[in-house]
Amino acid sequence: MPVVRLELSRLTEMIGASRKEILDRLPYIGLDIESADSRSVRIEYSPNRPDLGTDYGIARALRGLLGTETGLPEFQTEPTGITVTVDRRLSKVRPYIACCVATGLDLDDEDVRQIISLQEDLHNGLGRKRRTVAIGLHDLDRISPPISYRAVPSTFEFTPLGRKTASSIRSTLSDTYEGKAYGHIFGSSKVFPVIVDSKETVLSFPPIINGDATRVTTRTRRMFVDVTSTSQKAGDDVLAIMATTLSEAGGRLRTVAVRYPNKVRVTPDLTPAELHFDFDLVKSVIGLDLSRKEMLACLARSRMEVKGNRALGPRYRIDLLHPVDVAEEVALGYGIDRIKPVYPPSKAPGAFNHFEDFLESVSTVMAGAGMIEMMTYELTDRKSLYDSFERPSSEMVAVQNPKSLDHSMLRDALIPSLLAALSGNVKSDYPQRVFEIGRVYTRAHDDVKESWHLGCLIAHSQASYTEAKMYLDAACRLVAGLDVVTEAAEHWAFSPGRCASVTMKEEGLGNIGELTPGAIDAFGIGVPVSGLEIDLSKLYELLK
Amino acid sequence: MSSALHPIERKILSALAPLGSAPFEALVAAASLNEDQVRRALQWLASKRLVSVGGSVESRLELVREPPELELVSQVSQATAPLTIGQLRGKFGSPEEFSAAFGRARSSGWIAVEGGAAQVVRMVEIAGAESLRSLVRSIASGKTEGSMTSEEMDTVSDLLKRGIVRRVETRTTTVAITDEGRRSSLLAADEGLIDRLTPDILASGAWKGRRLRSIDVEAKAPRFFPGRRHPVRDFIREVREVYVSMGFTELQGDSVHPAFWNFDALFIPQDHPGREMQDTFYLEGLSDTALKRSGVVARVASVHEDGWTTGSRGWGYRWRVEEARRLVLRTHNTVLSVKALSESKEKETRVFAVSKVYRNENLDYKHLAEFYQMDGIMVGQGLNIRHLMGFLTEFYKKLGMADVKLWPTYFPYTEPSLQVVGYSKAFKSWIELGGSGVFRPEVTQPLGVSVPVLAWGPGIERLMLMRFGLEDMRTLYGSDLSWLRNRGELAGS
Repeated sequence: MPVVRLELSRLTEMIGASRKEILDRLPYIGLDIESADSRSVRIEYSPNRPDLGTDYGIARALRGLLGTETGLPEFQTEPTGITVTVDRRLSKVRPYIACCVATGLDLDDEDVRQIISLQEDLHNGLGRKRRTVAIGLHDLDRISPPISYRAVPSTFEFTPLGRKTASSIRSTLSDTYEGKAYGHIFGSSKVFPVIVDSKETVLSFPPIINGDATRVTTRTRRMFVDVTSTSQKAGDDVLAIMATTLSEAGGRLRTVAVRYPNKVRVTPDLTPAELHFDFDLVKSVIGLDLSRKEMLACLARSRMEVKGNRALGPRYRIDLLHPVDVAEEVALGYGIDRIKPVYPPSKAPGAFNHFEDFLESVSTVMAGAGMIEMMTYELTDRKSLYDSFERPSSEMVAVQNPKSLDHSMLRDALIPSLLAALSGNVKSDYPQRVFEIGRVYTRAHDDVKESWHLGCLIAHSQASYTEAKMYLDAACRLVAGLDVVTEAAEHWAFSPGRCASVTMKEEGLGNIGELTPGAIDAFGIGVPVSGLEIDLSKLYELLK
Repeated sequence: MSSALHPIERKILSALAPLGSAPFEALVAAASLNEDQVRRALQWLASKRLVSVGGSVESRLELVREPPELELVSQVSQATAPLTIGQLRGKFGSPEEFSAAFGRARSSGWIAVEGGAAQVVRMVEIAGAESLRSLVRSIASGKTEGSMTSEEMDTVSDLLKRGIVRRVETRTTTVAITDEGRRSSLLAADEGLIDRLTPDILASGAWKGRRLRSIDVEAKAPRFFPGRRHPVRDFIREVREVYVSMGFTELQGDSVHPAFWNFDALFIPQDHPGREMQDTFYLEGLSDTALKRSGVVARVASVHEDGWTTGSRGWGYRWRVEEARRLVLRTHNTVLSVKALSESKEKETRVFAVSKVYRNENLDYKHLAEFYQMDGIMVGQGLNIRHLMGFLTEFYKKLGMADVKLWPTYFPYTEPSLQVVGYSKAFKSWIELGGSGVFRPEVTQPLGVSVPVLAWGPGIERLMLMRFGLEDMRTLYGSDLSWLRNRGELAGS
């Protein structure tokens, strides 16, 4: 979730309310206060509401909620006469560009910081780490229109932002931080997009880096915004958010004509978002007996407006998809904390899941037998699952790109997890008797089969097969009321000659035995260990 | 002080009582026990102040051998004719011994050497030798240093230096019974008490009219570790009971699902950041190839692309079936509720599941890669967010969290969406407990559900931390035997 830092003195001035009022209401427009001190507050906002990514946007919403400025915000635009011509060769690289101009700006350092912070959040969120959308901000006074959005080869040279000398696209990609971080977006493309003016000054090499010549400062009075994208809709959305934010920052918005080979688009288009206004639907979702007039007042506080059966939201509200979205705006405008909860009593009795109850009864029996229950992770590592038992990992179920190798594959047995747990407890008093009831995964062709196992380990200087069998007998007698048969068998966890298969009603349930000295040693445990592992899913089927 | 005594302690007290005090060895003999038993028991008795144990050290002189000069004087004085030095030397075992004896006797003035060529030894003064002889005899018969004259002491210190006499130290331990010990011994002597109830005593009725001897009820008992269920299991049991008491039926299901059910069916767009590998565990090389764009899958695909017939705009992108086929470890249990919804056409139902979800996270004090969620849904005509708020408030109250608030939030699959926050006294702030909302029509309509569905999916770990007063989620699954064995069952609750 993106985070924005706000200065409380700016907010109180922008909103015309006290700090306390502001801090109290922030959660009720869906903003989480991450931390606060006497001067500032850090706010976490939803990526679907990037319009709340600056103090301008938050103030705009709170003025509505507090009733000081309600209804649909209006955004006037005038044409600039500036054109941007799009090179047809970019259609397979980064086909779309949308632009706007904001004039009459007088920005201080904090204004610039807010705008840059929004730009970064948009890059990461809607922009999908610049793959889908990238934004460039420029000082229009350093640009000589008309502008072209052009495809160039990797040998093309320009001076990137913050550098003193010109370098090629190729070296910009290989040598700069931005090039290394985002260069992969181009794949194997042979041409690259640049935005240049009539004097061949490079504004930007999107989505990597801007040119140095047109950089924005607090002295910038007229700002030119470019938004390049692989999705026209996403580009338009992002431009709308940037443009309306600049308008809140005091800018007058002006349009730019974007010439594609086959059409001309004038951007930004700030026509309000429109949803069907379904009075009954809204009422049924929020459960409040509001009149149409009351509902409209709530919507006005959410900065929306209703015309006939059309609900209009500001263009920056990219999250409005369905008539049901109007319901939340009514609820927010009404005040979530003013809505009285109603508990709906149940008409039918509830029921426990039988299998979950069965698993729980096994836990009760094993604990009653004197064992400590453990709950370990289902995702484990190759060493403890396979290598320590000297068994092949060919049937492993691995996950892609795990953040930690300790959680890189799904276990097919509990004994390795339990042995790993005991290895972390070698300083605790012996005897140690532990069990786990857990999910295991086995590969079945192209699928994965999940089942529940019971694993037990007994560790102390006299631990033996016989003791393990005492627990097995007790568990089966108490859980199933049935006897089990043990027959000599081989299993990777147990020493040959000290291992048996466990069978009930001629169905193989698992294995029991004394752990191999190799495995005990691999886990750094200094005492003999015996144990068992049986398939509870199978046992449950047998009992049904 | 407890009057409870071990049988050996009783034996010692009754042996000591008539003596008042006795040396250790005497007490061992009187009690007919071995030294180790007595020594151990005396430590206990002394710590209970029933006896006092004192010690003293005595030293006495012991004669190692006769001084050789006395032997020389005897030879000279008893000889019938004067002896020459050569003859006298012959009577001694070694020339060195003779030289020492001769030197001492002559320098003491007891003997003298006379004559010309054949020198003979004559007695000059016998009294000095005799007084040494009587001193030596008295030492041999136990004369103590305390009763000697200073002259004698001078002689003794010379004899000590020469190794003719040595000083021997003896240590004696004396045990004395205290007044309290005397009282205890009287009690201990009561032969009518039963030491330990046995089947024989019970069978014979010999217990009738007799008391059991008191034991030390303050003594430490050996420590042992009973078996017990995992605290997370007990907490899950509690959650399950709360759900069932509120009319919910429990679901159980697999952890591995096609991305379709985990994401697409919940209207989470295919390029949503949460679907990336940094956040989600995809299974290597596995996919649900049977998943085809038909039926519910086709409807969901259309909802993503253009809203289908739901009245939504949709996400406006081209939906790919390949992405939906990838197998994932469920990132939330809502997947179980959604599958249940698609299979059941009930107009009114309440279901829940408490099970694990998986996120590709680095583990730290507030992040786990596997943790539990307690998801539920409530389906029914006329349900709205007030009911959702009512349910959540009641649910958390039953779980011991009376102080909760509901704040608006965002999820792709619910509208409106609310998050539950609970007040943590430890952190002095509102802590996020879980998300909830009303399923969007984009979620319900492709599944063929036309009535409102309220849904929520809070985790259990934060609640458990609050209850146990823990700060690190990893503690819960850290398999630390010391914690599992010793934690208080009701800690923090």
